Amino acid sequence: MTALLSPALAFLWQLGQPEAPASPGWLGWFDVSPTTTKFLILSSLLFIIGVGGVLARRNIIVIFMSIELILNAANINFIAFTRHWQMLGHINEHTGELFTIFIITVAAAEAAIGLGIVVSLYRNRETVAVDEIDLLKW
Amino acid sequence: MGTATSDLSHSIAEHMVMILHGAEAWFFWLLALLALMGGLFTVLARSAVHSAIFLMMTLIAVAGLFLLMHAEFVMGVQILVYVGGVMVLFLFVIMLVNVREERLEKARLFSRQWFWAMLFAGALAFTFSYAIRLADPGQAARTRTADQPPELVGRNPQGATPVSANTQQVGAALYTQGALPFEIASILLLVAIIGSVLLARTPRQERLYDQEQEQETP
Repeated sequence: MTALLSPALAFLWQLGQPEAPASPGWLGWFDVSPTTTKFLILSSLLFIIGVGGVLARRNIIVIFMSIELILNAANINFIAFTRHWQMLGHINEHTGELFTIFIITVAAAEAAIGLGIVVSLYRNRETVAVDEIDLLKW
Repeated sequence: MGTATSDLSHSIAEHMVMILHGAEAWFFWLLALLALMGGLFTVLARSAVHSAIFLMMTLIAVAGLFLLMHAEFVMGVQILVYVGGVMVLFLFVIMLVNVREERLEKARLFSRQWFWAMLFAGALAFTFSYAIRLADPGQAARTRTADQPPELVGRNPQGATPVSANTQQVGAALYTQGALPFEIASILLLVAIIGSVLLARTPRQERLYDQEQEQETP
C-alpha cells in the first residue's frame, strides 16, 4: 500500500512546489549520470591515490608510477573541461587536448630521466629504497 | 526573469552539463572503477612488476574515458606513448634493478611515513570535495547558457560522422595556438634523450671517457 501511495504523494507534493527546484545539495552525490563533476571526482580520487603512493611507498620506481597516476588525473580534468566547453557550444575548442599532449610529452621525458637516475643509483648503491638514499655523493 | 524563461534555461543547463548519455554512462562507471582499482593496486602491490601491470590497467581505462569524451587523438597518444613506451621503459628498469627484496615477507613495503601520507591525502580529499562543491560546473552552465542557441543543447557537435574530425582539429590547434610549446617540447625530448644516455653510463665507460679527455688536453 505504501509502495503505491508514496509515488502519488511525492507527485502531489511536487505539484505544490515552486518552479525550478533548488540545488540538490549533498544528495547530488548520489545522482548516477556522469556529469563533468563526476569526472572531477574520479580525477581527484586518482590524484589522492597517487599522492598517497608518493608519500608512503619505499620503492622509488613505484613512486615514479604514482607520479604517472597524478599526471593522468590532471589529464582527465583537462579533457573533461574541454568536453564541457565543447558541449556549451565552443565546438573548435581543443586547448585542453593540447595541454594533455604536452603533459604526456613531459611525462615521457621525466620517465626517461628518472629511470636513468634509478639505474645509475642502483649501480652505485644496490638499492632502490628511498629511505636508504640520503646522500648525493658517496 | 520570468518563471517560464528561468525554467527553460534551467532545464537547458541541466541537459548540457550532462556529457554522457545512455550506454556511455555505463561505460563511464565501468572504466572509472577499473581506473580507481588499478590506481589503488599500483600503490598497494607488493611486487613492482605487479604495480606496473596495474598502472597499465589504469592507463588503458583512462584512455577509454578519453574516448568517451570524444578526444580520440589523445586516446591514441595515451595508448601509444604511455602504455607502449613509458610503461615498457618502466618494466625494463624494474627488471634491471629488481632486488627481489619484496619477495621476502619481512621486507618493508612502505617508508614508515603513514601518518604524513594519510594527513596529506586526507587534506587533499577535503580540499577537493570542497572545491568541487564550490565550483560545480553545473553552476557555471546555469549562469552562462541563457544566451546559447537551443539547437546546440545535448547534441554531440562532432559525432555522427564515420571518421572523427578530432585528430585534424587537434593537429590544427597544435600548429597554430601551440606552435611554440610544440617546438620547446621537441627540445625537451632531445635533452631527455641525451640526459638519460649520460646517466646510464657504466663507471667503466665514464673512466674511459675521462682518459680520452686527458689525452686530448695536454
